[in-house]
Amino acid sequence: MDSINRLELDVVTERRVDPFLMSVLKSRFEAIVREMTLVVMRASRSAVIKNARDFSCAILTYDHRLVSVEDALPIHVMSMDMATRPLTDLFDDITQGDIFLNNCPYTGGTHHADLIMAMPVFFEGEPLFWVVALSHHADTGAPVPSTYLPFAKNIFEEGMHFPCVRVAQNYEEKKDILRIGTMRNRVPDMWLGDVRAQIGACRTGERRISELFARYGCDTILGFVEDWFDYGARCAKAAIAKLPAGSYSYETRHDPVPGVADEGIPVKVTINVYPEKGEIVVDVRDNIDNVPGGLNLSENTATGSCRIGVFNNLDESIPHNEGAKSQIKVLLREGSVIGKPKYPVGTSVATTNVNDRLMIAGNCVFSRMGAPYGQAESGSHLPAGVGVISGADPFKHGKSYVNQVFVGYAGGGARYGFDGWLTYCGPANAGLIQLDSVEVDESMYPIVIERRGVLPGSQGFGEFEGAPATGGVFYPLDHDMTIVYAADGTSFPPRGVLGGGDGKESETIKLRAGEKIVLPAFSEETIEDGARIEFTACGGGGYGDPLKRDPKRVAATVNRGWLSREDAETVYKVVLVEADEPGLLQVDEARTSALRTV
Amino acid sequence: MAYQVCIDIGGTFTDCLVSNSKGEIAIFKSPTTPGEFEKGFINVLHVAAEGYGLSGADFMREIDLIVHGSTVSTNALVERKTVKVGLILTAGHQDILVLREGPRKGAFQWRLNYPDPYVPRHLTKTVAGRIDARGRELAPLSLDDVRKAAAEFRGLGVEAIAVGLLWSVVNPAHELAVREILEKELPGIPVTLSHEINPMPREYKRIIAAAIDASINPIVRTYIEKLKTALDEEGFEGELLLANCVGGMMPLAEMIRKPIYSVMSGPTLAPMAALALSDEPDIIVGDMGGTTFDVSALRDHQIIVTPDSMIHDDSLGIPKVDVRSVGAGGGSIAFVDEGGLLQVGPRSAGARPGPACYGQGGTEPTVTDANVVLGIVDPDYFLGGKMQLKRELAEAAVDKIATRLGVSRQEAAYAIYTTSNHNMVAAIEEITVREGINPRDSFFVCGGGATAIHIAEMADILGLKRYMVPRFMAGLSAFGGLISDIRSEESAVLLTSDADFNVAGVNDALKRLKQAGNNFLADAGVAPENRQFEFSFLGRYEYQSFEIEVPFEAKDGMVSESDLPGLVEAFHKMHERIYSIRADNDVVEFTAWKLRAIGKRSGQDIWQKNTLPDQVGAIDLKARRGIYQQESGRVETVPVYELAQLRAGAQLAGPCLVEAETFTAYLKDQHQGQIDRYGNLVVNIA
Repeated sequence: MDSINRLELDVVTERRVDPFLMSVLKSRFEAIVREMTLVVMRASRSAVIKNARDFSCAILTYDHRLVSVEDALPIHVMSMDMATRPLTDLFDDITQGDIFLNNCPYTGGTHHADLIMAMPVFFEGEPLFWVVALSHHADTGAPVPSTYLPFAKNIFEEGMHFPCVRVAQNYEEKKDILRIGTMRNRVPDMWLGDVRAQIGACRTGERRISELFARYGCDTILGFVEDWFDYGARCAKAAIAKLPAGSYSYETRHDPVPGVADEGIPVKVTINVYPEKGEIVVDVRDNIDNVPGGLNLSENTATGSCRIGVFNNLDESIPHNEGAKSQIKVLLREGSVIGKPKYPVGTSVATTNVNDRLMIAGNCVFSRMGAPYGQAESGSHLPAGVGVISGADPFKHGKSYVNQVFVGYAGGGARYGFDGWLTYCGPANAGLIQLDSVEVDESMYPIVIERRGVLPGSQGFGEFEGAPATGGVFYPLDHDMTIVYAADGTSFPPRGVLGGGDGKESETIKLRAGEKIVLPAFSEETIEDGARIEFTACGGGGYGDPLKRDPKRVAATVNRGWLSREDAETVYKVVLVEADEPGLLQVDEARTSALRTV
Repeated sequence: MAYQVCIDIGGTFTDCLVSNSKGEIAIFKSPTTPGEFEKGFINVLHVAAEGYGLSGADFMREIDLIVHGSTVSTNALVERKTVKVGLILTAGHQDILVLREGPRKGAFQWRLNYPDPYVPRHLTKTVAGRIDARGRELAPLSLDDVRKAAAEFRGLGVEAIAVGLLWSVVNPAHELAVREILEKELPGIPVTLSHEINPMPREYKRIIAAAIDASINPIVRTYIEKLKTALDEEGFEGELLLANCVGGMMPLAEMIRKPIYSVMSGPTLAPMAALALSDEPDIIVGDMGGTTFDVSALRDHQIIVTPDSMIHDDSLGIPKVDVRSVGAGGGSIAFVDEGGLLQVGPRSAGARPGPACYGQGGTEPTVTDANVVLGIVDPDYFLGGKMQLKRELAEAAVDKIATRLGVSRQEAAYAIYTTSNHNMVAAIEEITVREGINPRDSFFVCGGGATAIHIAEMADILGLKRYMVPRFMAGLSAFGGLISDIRSEESAVLLTSDADFNVAGVNDALKRLKQAGNNFLADAGVAPENRQFEFSFLGRYEYQSFEIEVPFEAKDGMVSESDLPGLVEAFHKMHERIYSIRADNDVVEFTAWKLRAIGKRSGQDIWQKNTLPDQVGAIDLKARRGIYQQESGRVETVPVYELAQLRAGAQLAGPCLVEAETFTAYLKDQHQGQIDRYGNLVVNIA
């Protein structure tokens, strides 16, 4: 009660702008980021941006504090400050109408395929904000046609790096710089179109913030920003104050990748929780050194993912601004696979895979506090169900096609009170990626999706269950199809916590003439005409003792077709009988309680 | 006297708008009767009869036409009180309604359960058999599987059946064969086929529409039959038309055949009203009621149809007039959160207990309470004085916010007012920016009881230059029903591209559409000279996964090879308009062809017959009232006018208030109002 009263006192005494302006300007800044997001969405060309929403926009103060990130992918924005900070270190002549490009992990970028576009916003000659648009580009001119290169040991085996480069001056594009980008690109028109979409978004953001200055005045806007950060800090502190104090650790492991990490990559997270200060310190210094491949994280993604794990465990209504962020401190080590990479090691896969595992560890470490905290491990990335397929389309006179499909992806881990989210995909996507329509895929590519759906019994059991795995079979029509995938979770499937069971592992199988050929977890494969590929994307881990699961939930899962009656009885010790409604089962209370008390 | 009537059933009131042969329009209201909507329907007709000094029977006999926006299907869906549906899907794809296309959630939103499918697992059966994207049969339909499903449905007590097989839109043979068996095995059970109800090549949307359609089929049929019986008993001999969700009217038989078209049809009439009220190309329509703010728009003076409407956790599947709803109404509740930020809604005090000032036991501060404290709403003249509001209760409720924020009562009220305005502005920007409409160049038409209180500030925030408060703002949807046309949408899937254009196939599809449209209009009794057809196609660039709708002209309902460049250019233009880019070198794919069949009615001519005399001399001042002004921080006195006293051409200078029986309009400084010859208040901002 005391702490609440103190908070109220803070509200009244530390205010810089009228309370009505807080709500008003908060919604104005959100609207600006939303409009920037729409500009990118509308003007971009590549499917990965448009369909998979693999882009984000943000507004930061000129001294690199995060103001607003509506609708963004968390991994893009939780440490966006790192991508703009070098600009003010490296340039002493930043002027109105400049736009900068940064995709270099050694100058604060996420990974080489995320081009970060940043534009300063001036008011009466003073630089006051940054507007930022980040897009994942389809190609960056790497030696092989992919932006995820697990075997690329260093930056010389990656795509083009732009380590904070001015691409526009006085609102004019610098054609020479853009020429460097288009020359080294397999799809130069698409690249340039997507870059211009980002430029358009920045200019929209700049214009709208200038309008806000004109309308409300500089002092009000800057005063609001400080109040807004205070508000974010207060919300985060209040949420952290409710957590039990202590130091907690969790370790998970990324699958082996031959030649890069033959034993897999352990990922260890320790958090120190200080409820009285409303602060959490995330320590990932105790991890192995950089690996000779693209799986190393960048400083940007390592920092961001450490914060995302924490935010996933706090109330969702907390504004994800600088104030809230500042209550979460991150400790990294230079030269660690999870830390600041040692120049010039490769980081091309820094936003998925090991990074997914880092977020998973961050989600799960809270479970060390015991129920109701934390969550179980979720599935991770790039099973064959979201592979990149290519070939020569027999229905279009052999025209070549290449694209990533989203036929089926991994399930989410359970948390206290809730079963895992079925269409999860991976921690970096936060359940936001669209699942492909079978008919749209089949009309676009010469393939048939024979089956696709939930695999019953594949979820991690528990008081709360992980989401079941999604699996399927698809095949090329009248041609040979190539597929590239990187199915983490094949060797180390998602684990349950606090007594919960593990989710099913990822699987990749070729079906050919009655034969079942198990394929490697990380590979490029040809599926010949007449052959089919079968995939399983991981199920999520369970949370808590299955014997504590509410028998009604068990009955509901059986009725949903996700659990057999036998498993209900053996795993959950719940006996079911025919319900009054035909076709449904219900709990046999007496026999269940007898079975459960044995 | 020949009357035309529109009855719109709302959550609280059933509205009845009546137009007489002189074009004079009157609004009547009667409480809605949930569970037995037809009672409220008949009741409000009796209220109207009384208003004209007629007996119920005399009034009924003189009504030529009743158009009706029913809520029976929407309510059944919202309250999840639909009938038991059996669903038949293609083997290997039993989870189409489970997976959807990945349900929407927030990035940091994890405290939620994955939504259950619209049709539960035990009522979902699969049958072997497969058609591919080109319509070829990869595996024959298993008739045994169908018979087995039918037998199981019989045991399960299924009341309606939906059938959704992959690629039925390209080759319907399997779906048709399934129906044939079901009709034999389960006579009397209605069957909805996905390719008939929603022919689009995107299985989740097509099949969820079939499932929803089946689940309300018996409900809509029963309601229509009861309504017809009740009207027969009252001696009504005119015509009855039902509003659909594509912005028009349908005859009863057609609605019984496609009941899903009645879902959320009421709110879609608001943009239809705007279509008639103004000739402006781009119009935003905002309708603020007790719990929600509904926003819709016209682009190039055309209604916008969206394939993305939602009901609970599911898509509605069929395209419908785009109306978006946010939880911002007069009853929306204000609170201060843990971090000290004021928030308004989406929780609402609803009609019961309602805002604190209603004196019905509500104590939480609402937007209406704030409006009373600010002085915009006169507690003694709410609904024309029919309902007395209690100012002291409004003040007590708003004081709670004032204390938490440490500001004065009036500052707190203004904070609630403006926060609510910004919530609505966000909803307006959502639809306009997404649809390529610039709010600054748009005209705004107000609907619903509360919008005119808020429009002035919203207009300033949005940079709008002009807005209209229609005379019948409070019954805008009913007005839209009164004047709208008969309308139906037909579509056919035909995949082709500009690289390999299938002229014969397209013409075959267009011919079938035209036939279907003509049949629809003939059934609705529309004379050939009043029939109008609008063609469009759904197109995309190769490897894009979302289509956009592009209207085109088809001479005699056909296209030829020489029309192709025009079709392609129309696609590029629309793509540029919506997504701001065009790709002239990309292949353009056509996925579906659509026809809108319209039967023109004379609704427009009728209401425009009635005009106001010109204003002569100065306008009468009704009163002066103090309103809290945020800019000066003071209560300032502004003039109040009574709408009923104003004549055509009357000029009003803001700040001022205009009161009518069903609404209050607040004009801010620099807002210049003028009454047009139909009695609407049109405002220009200097």
